[in-house]
Amino acid sequence: MHDRRSFLKLGAGAAVGGIAAALPSAVSATECASNIKWDETRDVIVVGSGFAGLSSALNAKRQGLGSILVLEKMQVIGGNSAINGGWLAIPKNPIQLAQGINDDSPEELVKDQIISGRGMQNTDMLRQIANRALDAYQLCIDTGVKFREGFNQQVGGHNKARAIRTLHGVGGDITTKLYEAGKKEGVEYRLQHYVEDFIMDGQEIVGLKVRQNYRFPDLKTGKTIYIKANKAVILAHGGFSRNLVLRELVDPALDKTLDCTNALGATGEVTLTAMAHGAFPVHMSFIQTGHWGSPDEGGFGWSNALLSIGFHKGISVNVLDGKRFMNERADRKTCSDAIMKNRHPDGSPAYPVVFFNHDDHIGAEEVTRAVRDQIAWKVDSLEQLAKQFNIPLAPLKQTVAEYNKQVPQRIDPLFGRMMDTAVELKPPFIVSRIWPKVHYCMGGLKTDLGARVLHSQTLAPMKNLYAVGEATGGTHGGTRLSSTACLECLTMGIIVAETIKSDMQA
Amino acid sequence: MMKTLLLTLVVATLFTGAANAGDLVKMKGSTQGRSNHEFIYQDGCKGCHQGSGKQNATDAACVECHGEITSIPVDESKLAIPEAHPHKSLHYNQGASCLACHGEHEKKAPVCAECHRTWFKEM
Ligand SMILES: Cc1cc2nc3c(=O)[nH]c(=O)nc-3n(C[C@H](O)[C@H](O)[C@H](O)COP(=O)(O)OP(=O)(O)OC[C@H]3O[C@@H](n4cnc5c(N)ncnc54)[C@H](O)[C@@H]3O)c2cc1C
Repeated sequence: MHDRRSFLKLGAGAAVGGIAAALPSAVSATECASNIKWDETRDVIVVGSGFAGLSSALNAKRQGLGSILVLEKMQVIGGNSAINGGWLAIPKNPIQLAQGINDDSPEELVKDQIISGRGMQNTDMLRQIANRALDAYQLCIDTGVKFREGFNQQVGGHNKARAIRTLHGVGGDITTKLYEAGKKEGVEYRLQHYVEDFIMDGQEIVGLKVRQNYRFPDLKTGKTIYIKANKAVILAHGGFSRNLVLRELVDPALDKTLDCTNALGATGEVTLTAMAHGAFPVHMSFIQTGHWGSPDEGGFGWSNALLSIGFHKGISVNVLDGKRFMNERADRKTCSDAIMKNRHPDGSPAYPVVFFNHDDHIGAEEVTRAVRDQIAWKVDSLEQLAKQFNIPLAPLKQTVAEYNKQVPQRIDPLFGRMMDTAVELKPPFIVSRIWPKVHYCMGGLKTDLGARVLHSQTLAPMKNLYAVGEATGGTHGGTRLSSTACLECLTMGIIVAETIKSDMQA
Repeated sequence: MMKTLLLTLVVATLFTGAANAGDLVKMKGSTQGRSNHEFIYQDGCKGCHQGSGKQNATDAACVECHGEITSIPVDESKLAIPEAHPHKSLHYNQGASCLACHGEHEKKAPVCAECHRTWFKEM
């Protein structure tokens, strides 16, 4: 096959080649469609079982596209979607209307997304998604998803309250229902099936090379099978926040000390494979990090909510010198950069601490669960704080004394923090450690509005190859607005099924 | 037949208060296995490993005796919080392989512990 080679000539190839060399899956010699002995055949194969894959599969089935097979490499269904926070932005949702908010619309959401996208977003794509938001909501309701009653909130960057939340505050409330509905309606799902390579015929995808009974992360496990896709392959394999090599290549600020909120399988090798076969990537270096992470828990965790108290009512302190080092209320990027400067001489992280008054927040859920799960601790004095986290006591005492003097004046001469929410620090304290986490990939495979993957030489759709969800790039631009990823995935699953149907008829 | 045998075992362990998956003990040569699976090892590896012992086993082997995940009881008094029920997971429910949490031949940290580090122990 010559398509990989022709891609490498395209300039971007040098970097891609480097990554491919580090990833055995992407280097394996590309097989020719005509030589393959197919083990199985399906009409549509979906790669990945998150919101995007589950919605695509169910909707493909409902569009009458025939036999649908979902391949998931991990031992659980759901990827990032299953562990997500369950926030879903739906303009004109029934709860919003019941709250008397009548001035929201898809276009209002798009307006907000243009601001956060900083001009690099795909406005037509965002508009198409927003216009179908109620279809995504209906898909959830029809499959039995439960949302919190009467709950519809205004979340960061939105100009209206339009984010509803699943009953338990987890995306699993949605993935489990989509999965169970799909099973009932005849979609086939397989865990531990790792998509290793595409079988191409020129720019057309004809099937997949898959490792069956794969055990993450060992690429030597399982055995190779070939599955033919008669009508379509839908890539819904998510982002690459857990691929430490790739993310540092595209954004050198994301060094390996940064943990990640994502499921372990968010390693993006399918994006690289698609690129090696000519798919066009965009915005790969636009990666969202959260400065609110804790090194003492996995995933998104409780830290973000805890710090919504700490960054207002408390202070952050460098454990090496006992001093404050940032405006705790600055934006995400400013805080991330400041936090990541806290290092031991050997370069390893010297996790800063954030602490605030225990007695002002007795019974607060943000605090109780964080202490219960040992990501935060109660300390009775500055002495105990210094001892437990190895902070020099004298400068720590001085830091707190100086800060307390500024509180009534409402000024922060050191870092210019807004002090309207600040309170005088008095022990006992609640204390936790912080370090940023990589969270979301805005970049990925470029598609047209119908989710067809574009080829990097022709900039035209590659035949039978589609992509949806976090695997795609360019939709959100500079940053993604909260609660819109879930919306995008569910909606694009509806749209891709419609596209495939119309492509079949064309 | 396996299922009846197993049910008896489960009932027995429930009464003694140790409803766990079974301790890791030496089975054959250097291979370790779960004490409650001793009877399976008497028939070789193929009871679980389809084809040959070198191939990864699948859930089919577990489900044949234990039933589907959501129907398998756990000791709920030991859960960190009631929502932490691993066989009725809010994140996965039916969509989890047994292998995501259980290892037959070695100790394994369950998938939940990737995030909820203090809720679950290696088993
Ligand atoms: C902790 C957390 C909280 C979040 N909270 C919210 C929120 O409240 N609201 C919101 O809108 N967004 C939220 N987001 C973002 C959003 O959840 C994700 O962007 C979204 O779930 C991505 O869905 P997806 O279907 O594209 O990918 P995923 O859900 O990640 O699914 C991709 C699947 O593909 C599988 N896969 C990858 N490679 C292969 C391969 N080679 N072979 C086979 N399978 C493969 C993966 O294992 C994975 O299961 C959150 C994200 C995280 C991590």
